[in-house]
Formats: sequence, structure tokens, C-alpha cells
Amino acid sequence: MTKEKNALRLSALDRKATSLGLSIGQPLANARAMLPELKVMAANDGADHKLLERIADWCDRFTPFVALDPPRALLLDVTGATHLFGGEKALLDRIMGALRAQGFVVRGALAGTSMAARACARHRDGFVVTPGQEMAVAAPLPIEALFLDPVTTHAFRRAGLKTIGQVANRDRRELTARFGSAMVFTLETALGKTEKPISPRIPLPDYRTEQNFPEPIATEEVIRASLVSLAETLCDALEQRGEGARRLEAAFFRADGAVMRIAVETGSPTREPKIIERLFREKLDALADPLDPGFGFDLIRLSASRAERCESALADFNADLNAEREIRFLVDRLSARFGAHRVLAFRPNDTHIPEAAGAALPAQEARGTKSSWASMRCSAEAPRRPLRLLAKPEEVETIAAVPSSPPRRFRWRRVQHDVVLVEGPERIAMEWWRHLSPQPTRDYFRVEDSNGNRFWLYRDGLYLRETGNPRWYLHGMFA
Amino acid sequence: MTAYAEIGVTTNFSFLRGASHPREFAHAAALLGYAAIGIADRNTLAGVVRMYSAFEELKEKGEPVTKQLVGCRLVFVDGTPDILAYPTDRKAYGRLCRLLSAGKLRAPKGECLLTLDDLLKWQDGLLLVVMPPHPSRTVIDTAPPKRFWNKDLALKDEGVGGVSLEKYKTNTQCSFEEVQVLVGKLAAIAPGRIWLGVSMPHRGDDQRRLLKWKQIARRAGVPLIATNDALYHIAERRELQDVVTCIRKGVTLNEAGRLLEANGERHLKTPVEMTALFAAAPEAMAETIRFANRIAFTLEDLKYNYPHEPVPPGKTAQQHLEDLSWEGALRRYHGVVSDEVRKILKKELELIRKLEIAEYFLTVHDIVSFAREGIKKEGVPPILCQGRGSAANSAVCYMLGITSIDPVQMDLLFERFVSEERKEPPDIDVDFEHERREEVIQYVYRRYGHHRAALAATVIHYRPRSAIRETCKVFGLTEDIAADLASGVWGSWGSNLSEAQVRQGQHNPFNVLIARAVKVANELIGFPRHLSQHVGGFVLTDDRLDEFVPVSPATMEDRHFIEWDKDDIDAVRMMKVDVLALGMLTCIRKAFDLVQTHENKTLALNMQAVDPAVYEMLQKADAIGVFQVESRAQMSMLPRMKPKNLYDLVIEVAIVRPGPIQGGMVHPYMRRRAGEEPVDYPSPKDGDPNELHGVLNKTLGIPLFQEQAMKLAMVAAKFSPSEANGLRRAMATFRNLGTINTFRDKFVGRMVERGYEQDFAERCFKQIEGFGSYGFPESHAASFALLVYVSAYIKKYHPAAFACALLNSQPMGFYAPAEIVRDAREHAVEVLPVDVNDSEWDNTLEHSPHGLALRLGFRQIDGFSEKWCKILVGARGNRFSGIESLARKARLPKRAMIILAEADCFQSLNKDRREILWEVRRLADTETLPLFAAQYVEEQPEEEIAALPTMPLSEHVLADYQMQRFSLRAHLMAFLRDLFRKEGIDDCRYISSPADHPFPVSRDGEKVRCAGIVLTRQMPGDAGVVFITLSDETGIANVVVWPKLVKEFRREIMSGRLLVVEGMVQRSKEDVIHLVAERIIDRTAELERLSEDDIEVPSFRSQAAKHLNRHPRNVRVVPKSRDFH
Repeated sequence: MTKEKNALRLSALDRKATSLGLSIGQPLANARAMLPELKVMAANDGADHKLLERIADWCDRFTPFVALDPPRALLLDVTGATHLFGGEKALLDRIMGALRAQGFVVRGALAGTSMAARACARHRDGFVVTPGQEMAVAAPLPIEALFLDPVTTHAFRRAGLKTIGQVANRDRRELTARFGSAMVFTLETALGKTEKPISPRIPLPDYRTEQNFPEPIATEEVIRASLVSLAETLCDALEQRGEGARRLEAAFFRADGAVMRIAVETGSPTREPKIIERLFREKLDALADPLDPGFGFDLIRLSASRAERCESALADFNADLNAEREIRFLVDRLSARFGAHRVLAFRPNDTHIPEAAGAALPAQEARGTKSSWASMRCSAEAPRRPLRLLAKPEEVETIAAVPSSPPRRFRWRRVQHDVVLVEGPERIAMEWWRHLSPQPTRDYFRVEDSNGNRFWLYRDGLYLRETGNPRWYLHGMFA
Repeated sequence: MTAYAEIGVTTNFSFLRGASHPREFAHAAALLGYAAIGIADRNTLAGVVRMYSAFEELKEKGEPVTKQLVGCRLVFVDGTPDILAYPTDRKAYGRLCRLLSAGKLRAPKGECLLTLDDLLKWQDGLLLVVMPPHPSRTVIDTAPPKRFWNKDLALKDEGVGGVSLEKYKTNTQCSFEEVQVLVGKLAAIAPGRIWLGVSMPHRGDDQRRLLKWKQIARRAGVPLIATNDALYHIAERRELQDVVTCIRKGVTLNEAGRLLEANGERHLKTPVEMTALFAAAPEAMAETIRFANRIAFTLEDLKYNYPHEPVPPGKTAQQHLEDLSWEGALRRYHGVVSDEVRKILKKELELIRKLEIAEYFLTVHDIVSFAREGIKKEGVPPILCQGRGSAANSAVCYMLGITSIDPVQMDLLFERFVSEERKEPPDIDVDFEHERREEVIQYVYRRYGHHRAALAATVIHYRPRSAIRETCKVFGLTEDIAADLASGVWGSWGSNLSEAQVRQGQHNPFNVLIARAVKVANELIGFPRHLSQHVGGFVLTDDRLDEFVPVSPATMEDRHFIEWDKDDIDAVRMMKVDVLALGMLTCIRKAFDLVQTHENKTLALNMQAVDPAVYEMLQKADAIGVFQVESRAQMSMLPRMKPKNLYDLVIEVAIVRPGPIQGGMVHPYMRRRAGEEPVDYPSPKDGDPNELHGVLNKTLGIPLFQEQAMKLAMVAAKFSPSEANGLRRAMATFRNLGTINTFRDKFVGRMVERGYEQDFAERCFKQIEGFGSYGFPESHAASFALLVYVSAYIKKYHPAAFACALLNSQPMGFYAPAEIVRDAREHAVEVLPVDVNDSEWDNTLEHSPHGLALRLGFRQIDGFSEKWCKILVGARGNRFSGIESLARKARLPKRAMIILAEADCFQSLNKDRREILWEVRRLADTETLPLFAAQYVEEQPEEEIAALPTMPLSEHVLADYQMQRFSLRAHLMAFLRDLFRKEGIDDCRYISSPADHPFPVSRDGEKVRCAGIVLTRQMPGDAGVVFITLSDETGIANVVVWPKLVKEFRREIMSGRLLVVEGMVQRSKEDVIHLVAERIIDRTAELERLSEDDIEVPSFRSQAAKHLNRHPRNVRVVPKSRDFH
């Protein structure tokens, strides 16, 4: 289903739904009125398009000239390719058979022109139009097969011209005057009289460079030097497209056939050869099992498997920005050496719950998060959170009066503390929607013992309202 | 005993901030034994009357109440912290209203922009409590408004009171020093009226801050006052509070973070708890009592302030009203006023004098007279109008011409309209022609001024659907689940949900989540969402209205509406007149005009409803288009009721309603009417056995009207007047939906105790509940009955004018144009097609050889605009001689020409639809601009056109349906008749013709199969029965589908356009004919044959491909049926 003019409408149906009389474009409410048990999923045009593109990729094996005909058709120009597959009919059957085997519902046809093929695909599934027969085949098809805009199609039907043949019999000037030359062109194409070349898809950019060595290389300097030169080539390609690499992979092909792959990731798109080389060096140095060249490598391939848009990296006069960049580079290097999950950054979480207020994320990933610590803190106030928060609150024995008094004395880790100063309570209720059963509310107190140590304690649960016997926990220490 | 008054209460009228109703706060305050409670909603007084009403109810029940303080929380745009403002007296209250109105009038709808300067201007007599914000609230709470109401402001973008819009924010952080300066400044200006408000939100540093504020208050010389700054009445509402915050912010609970409160402490607390919290500042607690004691103002002070305009100088209002009433009586009774009338009129006038409400009647009279007479001075024809509702009980209203029903003749009681016990002002609703109500509204503004007249508000509440939808969003549930829940698939409102939960496993967190969402949504239902303007409810005052209640700008320029809805207005006894719109009055007016023009007869609304021919027509259920009695249920009731006089129509109108139906009163009444059952009156064990005779004698001992149900409560269940009042209110209003159940036990219990049958008592109460969803008092039915008669009269004697007027008043009523046209043709009215030479925008009447004929107008054509019509008619002159002259003179855009051609409007030019369509498609594809008019290609090169295939009749008909939703040529079913005949399907005439018809007709109990196009689907109430009206070329068939079958054939019923129904014919002894469905087959696909007959699509034809590539117009082969649920 999809949202169209503020109403949820059906946008695609499976066979069962079609057989039950649902139709595309029908409002969801209406469809539900018919079938209360109807299961619907939100349409995902992006994913559909991606799938179509993937099928197009797959079709590359038959011909390099594949064009998308969205939302759900592909045009393949197989000129000169059919003999490789045993003829036209065999090729068509093979493509459709393979797609069906993958679970797709496919219809297809092959003809001298794209429009004729398209018309036939809908109405004469699996049909191969012999050259010159387009006219004869297309004529009896309904004009809908031309895929004109709905208004034009309607106009033809109203005029009593309901097949392609009937339209084709009209004077071309008559048609042009009413529907424009584009329509006439489409018609002619369908009749096989003219053809517009399909515009094949532009292949995805492929950042891959490799270097062959007639003599296998084995020394570290040579390997490094060739990595630099490969990186330079790769970076040129990246620059041309205004992109930078987020993930790079180097593959080392050993003369004896073994292949070793090493990947590095960066926190922001990069296209500086030096940085790339340095990252690989960090990684290579950190390898537990050093790269063993054996008899030497005869091929090194460097590829960027993930690339993103990247603004041109002009030197910046802004010191802060430069410093920022330095830090990012440092993070990348450390991550390359120790692994991304070992280099962490704290990010604030917008919540009242103390232990959830900060989260440690891999530093390379953390930069994008929205919230900043600045918005979390408030000025002009005594510190409300301890400097050190225990990973897990520890239960303490206390002497405290119910219902809401602070403790007078407590024992933590077998040490007795006499409370001399206290402030509170700060009452924090748990996030009720996250828990299956109600969680006790905490009353936090900031206390100072007779030795001047300051602690953050809480009573777990409101007396009588939530519990008859509230327990106490120590959650952190103030400086 | 500690005493405490809470002054800082935010209710749900601070839209999506508070989480409790004012009523809940009122009850909680009474329960906690507060000395006083003050609502202080955000820049609004919208909730104060609700609390007032709640206390009034408690008072009536004799329960303890709390003093209500009326006030408001002022939120500023210039960085000033919030200030609670409470007026001490009526004058100060007026100033507070002015202040709020000023803020609202300059702001976009629903907002209020105030600065400290505004407050200083109006502060006199206001008690002000400065509420410093807590510094930890760092989140900016309000975004600047996108659009300013006041155009000057928007243009200059200078903001309000010198505050630039960039700074627009509510103050969320404010230093101690700033507060100290502000408090000092205010204390100098308003000495003795300034407080510093403190609350204890449990934020850790409460005590420290309390001491700090204490210090500051002492330095500034103002007292400290305690409050809990409550957002909800009980702690359990925290969840709902979190949810409404999320709704307001458009975030999910998971994203909300610290937008939500850290804890659930903002509920009303006991005085003991409050004392404990403020142990360090007991003086702040004591101050709450001192504060409350200084306020003398109550909402009582507002009542009865009626405009004095309608009274001529030198007369009192009462005198003037008496004079007008007697004058009117002489006119109504042609100079002879009977003693009975005299007595009743005197009694009414006496009561009016006692209650001092004469001006109210005069004001309504003034408005009605304008519509009838005054407007003529402006050279416009008068506007039809008629009072509805309980006003019809009043002889004074009848004499003044406000209502058209003689209450003396109808035996209606004035006490139902105005009574001494009920403390509410009378409520007069007047219907006007719906197309001309605007003129009346304009008059009201002219006469009473914008400063004294405004529209009432309508409080838009959360309904189950909107509540569950919004709640699901907040819980992060998908739109699909929300839709499921909203459509009741997962059980209706919790009751079925737990069962489903058990089935699917208690520990599935997903289910717990859904259960929670449903629980919260249930609480959210009935919450006010925003205020909107009432369509026609006017509030009028003699003094400035904006000193009674804050006024906001309405969507339309120069329109204002107040903050209270009609119940609130009643509660504070302000004057309200409902200027309502009634489509049927428009239709009757149009019909009257047509009859005048074409038949030279003058008709008027106040006709004597005595023509037997009219009643005969109604008895035959020949009622399509007739006001109120045209629904399927009414049409099947008519032959049973056999109405013979106006009072029968009153009953007819009232009986097919939820009240009598749910109470099971319909069948007993019908049996008694038919003489199959003796008329007797239920009686108690002891006491007067005839006590109900007076109540029920007009309706043969069966209660049918709302008043009778009320009367039963008083006579049979011995309700006290105040109890009855409570019941009446519970019946009337949405917000008291819950309370009606408390009356059930009382009502049924007492009746049974007094010896009435349990069953009767329960049915009576069910009926009362039914009235709750759609009340229909006798007086209202009487006013409507007259319109039933008038419309039936026109239909009987002027069918062409009737059909024409009906079509020109669309959309209204139950039937689509197709049905109205069919009905007119069956009544021997010739109907002529739309034509470029003969049609106007509206449908018109023409003299034809066969009498008056109905000429269809351009308004019947889908997609044709009135603008094009004006151009076309303006260019027409005498007539267009041909297509060329039309194109040259009118120069319509190509699109307009195509639509005209598609709709076959060139018949008088002898042009074939298909050819002309092909021809106009050549036209230049632009609207000709004046500048390029000269380039307009008039002469296109001659073109040799090969003939197009001729258009078969079926396609013509189909095109007609697509363009105007019906065809004068033939019925679509005619083309399928051969097909269906082969299948042994009967036509509608065979099934539905009366038994005495000359040709063969179906018998009762006969099994038949019938095919037809679905005209209407009606699913009355929640009984689960579906009524379908099928139509074919021979007539219509009325199909009944019982609930069990509805389940089985749901798909066919809901989506089929052409159905085949197998079933049994049911003929009642009055010859009401139904086809009771047993099997339903969807044959909509047959319709597609009609256009595609002449084309053989080779091989595979896919459903999906067809739908993908069709013109939207094509998809809808047949107009959608009109469905009512």
C-alpha cells in the first residue's frame, strides 16, 4: 500500500488478492471493508527500483545493453547476441525461464523494435516477432499496449479506435494534430517502422585498480610503493566523481595462487593517497600474522568497496577544522590498528535515566549522532550527576526513616558511612513504556559522610505506593 | 486540619499539555478537601466552564464542592516567565478577557501572542503569580508561529510589542536576578497583587531553591505562594501525560527523552502532603488560602446580558414582546384569538417576564424578521426559515413567526422549552436556506457589531479513531497496526483485546505494547484537541463580548469565535442563537420560485397540511426526495403507518430513530395502530393506575418521543426535577457519556419497585440511551413534519419543479441525481439532455408539448466548471448556429470543449458525439489569453477525415454514465438483459411491483434471482443488517441482507457495482416488498463488456495490466453508489 493524496491505497497485489477482486489504486479502507483479514505492507518504491536494477545487473550476462523501463519492465537490446544463446526464441526462453526459477512472475517478448516488444510482452507473452511482421502482430492488440498516457488512450477508445491497427489506419497528420508527434513516433516504433535506440544504464562506478608484476615482488618497500601508486590511480577516479572511499580493500595475489585480502575503513570519505597508504600500513603492522609474501606477489589489486560523496579537500585555514580533521585521522588510524570496536566515543542519550544517559559507540560511527553534550548540561547549577557512575548500582544497608527521609547511615562494601549532609530527593521515574511490568521509581540523594566523601544513593521504590520495603542502592561518587 | 488551595492547574484545555479533564480536577479537589481550586490553562479560559458545570452537578447531588477560582496561565513571547492571572471581580475578569482576546487576535489561529506590556495594560484587579521556570528545563518549548493573523505584523515582521520574532520563545531559563527584577517591577505597579509561585517538583535541589525564592520574595516584598503546578489529577495519569506531550511534539516515546517529565509528581496532592513538602515555608501554604479569599469573581456573574436593540425606545422589552405576541396571534388566527390560546399566551409571557428573558425572544424575532421581510429592502428575495427543536413548544415563538407549528393545536407544552427549575436559558435554533445562511450571518454582524457577536466554539475531541491513531504513532507502531486497531479488527476498545492477548501469549512484548497503546488511547478519547468555530451558533451580548470571554479569529476574515461551546454557553447563561442551514429549505424555496415562474402559482411554507392526495402519495411510499421520509427504513414504514394527518407525520419522522428502535417501541406501536393490540397503559402497583395516561395518550400508550421518556422518568420512576435534569444532560452531551449508566439502576430499579414490568422499564431506558445518540423531541419532529408535508405537496402537484429544485440543491438527501431523474420520469416529467443551446448552469424548466419538461443543466456534468458555463451562456446570444460559431464566440478552453463533447452537449447542432470529440481534439491546447486572442486559429486547415466507427448505443450510455452518472438514453442493464435472461434472472419489475399489478408479479416467499446496479447501500446503526437498492431498466428492488450473510458476502456487498442476488421475496400485508438475500454474486465485470464488445483482445488478458493503464474515468464504469453507514 502507499499513501496517495492522504489516503492509503493499494499499490501492488499478489495473485490471491487479484483473484479476490482487489485492484491497484483501491483505497485500503475500501479493501479492508471487503476483506477484513487482508494483510498489507507499506510500499517501498526505492526497494522495488533497486530490485529492478539488480535484475538488470543480472541481465548483463545476456547483453550489455539493458535499459530500465520503470516501474517494472526491462528492455534488452539483444542485437548480435542471440546466436550466443542458440537463437532468439532460445534466448527469450532462457531469460524468462531463469527469472521464473528465481520466483519472479515474468512476461516477455522479442521483436524488432522496443515498442513492439513491449506491446507484445503484455499481450503475447513469450512471442518472438519475426522481422517485418511487427505490423501484423501489433495491429490486433488493444491501444493500451502502446502505453500512451491515459488521456490519449481514453480519447482513442472514445473515438472507437480500439486497436493499434485501427489507429494505424488513420492519417498520420490527423493523429499529429490531435496527439502530437511523440505519439505518432511511438506508434511507428510499435509497428516496426522506426526505432529509437534504448538508452542502456550507466554501470555503477567501479573503483578498482590493479597492478601486474612480471616478476613477483616481495620486499616491503616495493609493496608499499606499489600500494601508493595504486592509491593515486584510485584517488584520481574518486575525484572525478566527487567521491571519497569509506571502505578499501587490498588483495594480494601470491605467485603460488594464495590470495590475501585486507580491508580498512574510514570515518569520513577519503581520497588522499597518503592517508590510504598510511591506514594500510597501520593495518599491516598490526597483523598478528604478518603478510607473508612467500615467493612474491604477482598482482596487487586495490578497490574501494564503499564510496560516498565528498567535498573537495582544499586545505583549510580554519584551525579548528584542521584539528578536527587530525582527530578524525587519528581515530581512523587507531581503528585500523585495534579494530573499530576498540576505539569508542561517548555520546549523550536524551533520557532522564542516569545509567542510560551516555552510550559508548565506535568512534568512527559516532560522529553523525545529533545530540551533543552541550545541550544536555545546564549551567548555573550544582552538579546533579556524580563524576563516577557505578556500572551497576550496588545495594547498601541503610538506616533511614520511611516514607521519604534520606539515610542517616549506610554500609557499602562493608564500610560504615555516617551521613552528615544530604540533599534531595531527586525523583526519577522509569520509562514505563520500555518495561513489561511497572518499575520502581527512584529517589536519589546526594549525601556527604563524616569523612567528606560524597555519594549518590537512591531509594528504590516509593514507600507504600510501590513497595512496602524499599531497598537502597549506591549509584555513584562525586568528586 | 491543614488548609490548602491549588492555584496552578493545567487541564487538557491547555491542549496536549494537561492530562485530565477539568471535571476530574473538580472531583479530585472536592475529594481532597481543598479550600479552593483554580484552573490556569495556557492563555485560555476554555476549560473553566467545564469545571464550573462539574461543581454545579455536585451541588445538585448535594455533595461537597470546592470554591472555583477562574484564571489563566499567561505565557509570553518576550521571555517573561509564565504568570498566573486571577481576576478578583467581574471588571477584572473583563480585562483578563480583553487581554487574551488581544493576544489571540494578533496571532495565527489557535495561538496567543502576549508580551509583558500587554499584561501591564490590563493588570488592574488581577492577582498575579509569577511562576519562575526551573533551570533544568532547557528545551525550548515553543517554535515561533509560521503565519501571523494580523497582516500588518506579518508584513513588517517586526513582531509584537517591539519584540522581534526571532526572540519569540517561551522563557525556559530565567535567572534568579531576572525574576527578582520582574517581581519587583510588578510589585511597584500592582502592589499587594503579586505573588511568587513555587512548586516542589522533586528535582533534587527543591529545598535549596525554595530558600532562594524565599530570599528573593522577601527582598522584593512579595509573598511566596505554594502550588503543585499540576498537570493531572491523579498520579496514574503520568502515562497519558507523556503521550500527549509526544503527540504535541510529534515524537515517539523513545525519541522524546527529556521532553517528558522526569517523574510523575505533577498530580493533585493532599493538603497534608503539600504541608510536608513546604515544611520549610509554611507561610507559602497559608498564602494559598489568603489568595483564594481575595477572589470574589465567579462565573455566576456573567449571566443574562441580552442585546437591547430589538426594543424600540420608550418601551420595556417585556411590553414590546407582549405587543408583538398579541399582534402575531391576531394575524395567525385571522383576528379571532380563542380563550385557550389567550390563556396559554398569557402564561408564557408571565413566565418570560419572571425569568427576564424577553430580550432573547425579541432578538431571535429580529433575525427572523430580517430574513422574511427586512432583506427585501435590499432588493433580494426573502429567505425561508423556520425554528426547529424545542422552540416549537412555545406559543410565543409561533406568534412571533419564529416557528411554524401551532403548539396549541399540537398540544405541545411550553415547560419543555423554558422552565423555572432549569437554570438554563431557552435555546432557539432556526433553520435557514443553506445557500443563503451567509446573508443572515452578515446581518447579525451588521446589526450587533463584531464586538458583540461571535460564533460559539466547537470543541474538537479525540474520537476513538483519532485517539488510537495518534497514540500508535507515539508508541512507534506502524500506520497499518493503527489502521487495524482503528477499524476495530483487533477488538473494540480493550474488551476483546485482552482475549486476543491471551491467545497470542501474554509475554509477547508486542502485545503488551499494543495493550498499553489501547489503554492510553481509551483515556485520550474525549480529550479536547483544539477549538473550532461552530457552524452557526451565535453568541450575542449587550456589552462588549470580549469582556465575557476571550475571542479568537476564525478562519474567515472578520469572523470571530469565542472559547466556549454551546454547553458552556448554556451553563453560564449567555444568549445563543443557532443560525442553522437546512438544504431542504433551499430546495423548497427553489421549487416555490419555479412554480411561481412557470405555473404562476404562489406557494408558502405555512400551508394547511390537509390535502388527502398528498397523504395518499406518501402512503404508497412514493417519497423519493421528500424531506426526512425518503430513506429505505422510512419508505418501508410509510405503507404501514399510512399517515393521514400532520400528527401522523410527526410520529413517522420520530419513530425511525435510534431511540424508539433500541427501545423496541416501533412494533408495539405499529400493532396498536393497526388495531391488533389493545391500547392500554402500564401502571404501578399502587398509586394512580392512570398516571401514564397523560404522558402516553397521544402515542397509543407507547413512548416514542424524547420528552415522553423524560416524563416517564419523573412520573413512573419518580425522578426529582434535578435528577431528571441530570439525566437530560447525560442524554444530551458527549462528555457525560459515562454518567448515563449511573441513572440506569435508579430508573429501572424504581420503576420495578413501583410495580412496572422489568422488561418495560428496561426498554424505556434503552430508548433513553438511544435518544442520547440522536435525540428527537416531539416539537422538533413537528417542525420537520411540516417540511415533510410541504415537500410532499410539491412532489405531488409540481413534480417537474420538485425534481429540478432537488437537483439544483444537491448534494443533499439520500438519492443521487440518477434516482431523482428516474423518479421524475416515472412521474411523467419529460427530461431533456444538457445542451449547449438550451441549458443553464442550473437545471431549468421548459415548456414542451407534453407540459413542463426538465432541462438538465451543466452542473450535472462532472468536471465542467461554472466559469465555463458563464462564458458559454454569455456568448450564446440567441443560439449557436453551429460548432464553428460556438468555438469562435465562446472560445472555451480545449478541455472544456472536450468535456462538452464527451457529455454529448451538441445534440441541438446535430453533431454526433464521436465526431465532434475527434474534431475538438484538434483545438489549440491553451486557454486563449486576451493578448494572443488575435492569433487564435479560427480556421484550421481543412482535413479529410475518414469516417470513425459508429458509436454503439451501449457505449453512448456508458459515456453518459461517466459524464453525468446517469443516462437518459437507456439503462445499462438493458444491454445485459439478454445475457441475464438466459441465466433465468428476473427483472426488478417482476419482483417489486405491487400485487395488484396487471402483469405477472412475484409472490410472497417466491425464490427469485435478480440482477441490478447498486444504487445505495445502507447499514443503519450497528445492527449489522445491510440494505441494498438494486436498479435495472424496469425499476428497483430492495434487498435486505441479514448479518450472517453480510459476513459471508462482505466482499461482494462492499465492492460490487453490479450484483446478482438470489433470495426470497417477502411481501408484507401492506405490500411492502423486500428481497431477502441468500446468495450474492458480484458481476461488475459484465459492465466492462459494454465498452469492449467490439474488440477481441488476443490471448492473455491480465487483470493488473488493465488496471494499470486505464483512464480514471474508465475505471469508474458506474457511479459509486451512495452509501450510508
